[in-house]
Amino acid sequence: MISNLRRSVPSRLGLVITFGLAALAMIYLSYSLPRLLPGDFVTTMYSSSNVTLTAEQEAALRAYYTEEPGFGHYLVKLFRLDWGFSYAFLTPISTLFFSALPWTLLLLGTANVISMIIGFVSGVEAAWRPNSRLEKGMVGGMTIIEGIPEISTGVILLVVFALKLQWFPAAGGETAYAELSLYAWFADVGHHLALPLATLVLAYFPGNFLLTRNSMMMVIKAPFVTTARAKGLCARRVRYGHAARNALLPLVTRFGLRLAFMVTGALVVETIFSYPGLGTVLFNAIQVRDVPVIQAIVLVSSLMVLMIILGLEVVYRMIDPRIANAH
Amino acid sequence: MKLCTKMICKSFLLLVIMVAFMGTTGHAAQTRIKEIRIADSKGDWGYPNPYRHYPRGPGYIRMSWVFDTLVWKDDKGYIPALAKKWTYNPKLLSFTFELREGVKWHDGRAFSAEDVVFTIDYFKKHPYGFVPVESVSGAEVMGKNSVVITLTKPYAPFLAYVGGTMPILPRHIWQNVADPRKYSDPKAFIGCGPYKFIDFNKAKGTYLYKAFKDYYHGIPKAERLIYVKAGKPLMSLSTGEVDLANIKPDMAKPLEKKGMVIIKNLRGWNKKLMINHKKPPFNNRRFRQALAHAINQREIIDKAHRGFGSRASFGLLSPDHEFYNPNTPTYAHNPAKARQILETLGYVKGSDGFYAKDGEPLKVGIMASNITEAGESVADRDGEVIKRQLEAVGIHVNLVNLEQATTDGRVKKWDFDLAISGHGGLLGDARILNRMINPKFTGSVNSARFGENKQLIRLLRLQIAEMDTAKRKALVYKIQEIYADELPAISLYYPTSMAAYNPKKGIRWYYTKGGISLGIPIAQNKMSLVR
Repeated sequence: MISNLRRSVPSRLGLVITFGLAALAMIYLSYSLPRLLPGDFVTTMYSSSNVTLTAEQEAALRAYYTEEPGFGHYLVKLFRLDWGFSYAFLTPISTLFFSALPWTLLLLGTANVISMIIGFVSGVEAAWRPNSRLEKGMVGGMTIIEGIPEISTGVILLVVFALKLQWFPAAGGETAYAELSLYAWFADVGHHLALPLATLVLAYFPGNFLLTRNSMMMVIKAPFVTTARAKGLCARRVRYGHAARNALLPLVTRFGLRLAFMVTGALVVETIFSYPGLGTVLFNAIQVRDVPVIQAIVLVSSLMVLMIILGLEVVYRMIDPRIANAH
Repeated sequence: MKLCTKMICKSFLLLVIMVAFMGTTGHAAQTRIKEIRIADSKGDWGYPNPYRHYPRGPGYIRMSWVFDTLVWKDDKGYIPALAKKWTYNPKLLSFTFELREGVKWHDGRAFSAEDVVFTIDYFKKHPYGFVPVESVSGAEVMGKNSVVITLTKPYAPFLAYVGGTMPILPRHIWQNVADPRKYSDPKAFIGCGPYKFIDFNKAKGTYLYKAFKDYYHGIPKAERLIYVKAGKPLMSLSTGEVDLANIKPDMAKPLEKKGMVIIKNLRGWNKKLMINHKKPPFNNRRFRQALAHAINQREIIDKAHRGFGSRASFGLLSPDHEFYNPNTPTYAHNPAKARQILETLGYVKGSDGFYAKDGEPLKVGIMASNITEAGESVADRDGEVIKRQLEAVGIHVNLVNLEQATTDGRVKKWDFDLAISGHGGLLGDARILNRMINPKFTGSVNSARFGENKQLIRLLRLQIAEMDTAKRKALVYKIQEIYADELPAISLYYPTSMAAYNPKKGIRWYYTKGGISLGIPIAQNKMSLVR
């Protein structure tokens, strides 16, 4: 027990140091990379505008908008949770970030959870019936759907369900400024969510299915599954309690990484459906070279990747104790 | 097998039920003129006050609902706004504006002549890009309701650039504001326009305004005015989600079938080929003329825009402008003439069909990007068509498609050969010629920034100082002739600009004569909801 503890403390400390250094590197990259973009805010905002600036006016604007406090200052501000101001809106970036975040979480979080559950269950069931017509049909079907890009699915859904049938709205996350009761507002948000959500589910679900099915195919041949069957356990328990649990790891990794890239992961869908979200905020910020906003979103996005990878380490140990004992 | 099928069916059913459940909910019931919804593909154009809106047409329009100007324009020309009448005294170099009585700010305070004087002083201290006030020496209150604005020198664009564009600020709010860009108090949005600003959601790109009940022209027609972000105007109009949207010309027929009214703008926006006339061979006027002969404007319109558009004048000003010179030099598509000019410049055609001079092949680079036209990002294939046209003449072309911000940055630094760009304002005041030619305006990437022809620069200076319309017109005629001869940039075509609206709301939308303010070609004139 004590020797286990002695072994695990340096190992965990090493993990923390590794992740800490990676976080510092990401903070530096989030600071420096947006500065390498060609063009600057004043040029982007004014050079093709209705306003024609003289050299003096341009210099005054550039002095107003460009601040170069250096990386040290940036780091200090970060530790104070001060994200700075957006050049374009002249409002705190945190306000902008947190007004877009709930929409991203709603769309991508829901899409990931739904596609994971459906993909997992259908993958396990298909693998349990190898070479059956159902399994072959599903593998063929899912391979085809997996090959269809989100942009095509989104446009097809938009044309059929928004334009032709008019069952769903074509744009937005809600009916803007509609005076609705709380229940009606929830329904309205759900109504607007349906098409972008269906697009993402159709994009994510086939991959989850194929991954689970392939992983499961290998697990069901393992001796412990045969043992479970021989013990006389019911088929569902063997499938899910013994086999599927061990086939879950790749899917958990995929789910985690999808969540990690949640910030920018739905830009295509957000654009097609004019759905609000962090992807659109980042895209707009890049277009006008709103450097403080780009920095903040890139930083949060990269730190999320780190945190989720760290979280996956814990989840792996819970799902598969062999990993915990591997050291 | 059955169990498996059931489980998969259940999973799908769950999604279908959720979707169907959501499908049963409808939109909020819309009553007539309870609200007007306008679609915009980009959504965010900044906060609607002079210092916080984006310096583009859609940003100015969002502000114009809240802040009024001394005069305004409708589809026929200038109309009174905060000023009932105005006169110009050439001896004193002054405009006298007789102001309307009984005008109120959104906070209930009375509007006065002092507010106008304050606004001019404030814009002198804190410049607002849309309103250049360097031509104004000062303003003073005369009598109870009159303001006299004195000019430093005769300034012909005054009515367009100051009287008809300058949003009047309430002195009681702004007098203590030291940094107007960072002033974000709700009071920063108190104006005396027809609508009160209520909300701007940055993430969703939506705006909400409410009718100002004490507006001096009477209560606006719609209680609420809402801007929504909608990337597909055809769908949003068809489904009734919005009442007005800019559309692409090929959407016109299907929308007309659905009962929408289609309006078409005059030719006020041009796509043009920027030329780096600072470096050889582009610094040679004859070479630029050879390029003009090599380019087939009609083919660009037909191939890259399915025929929607018209050929541009080489003199920059639109043929629909009152000062347009019909005798502006033109360059018919004539590859033989282009080749002949190149040969007179010493270029020799090689066996590969391409020209070279002193052993150096004639190579040019073209930068292309998606250009924002009237607030909408427009993808096109102009670069590809022009590349083929120049290559057909014998010029090697390296076409590079870049993001607009990168293109702008390189054009600004003169780090290019040819670049495809575009701008509006061609129906507004002829000062646009100064903005798009004079090298004094270094901040624009659409401007040719061409100072090599001294006569042209002199005429540009003279035309904005000429208060006599006939004399000014003659100067502008000459400017167009010289510009078309020099070709510091080549205007290519005017895209067909259209909007569609739902007539069931009882609102008539229109394009403003000369464009809103400085010439903004967007059919969202506030007078549509006022009179």
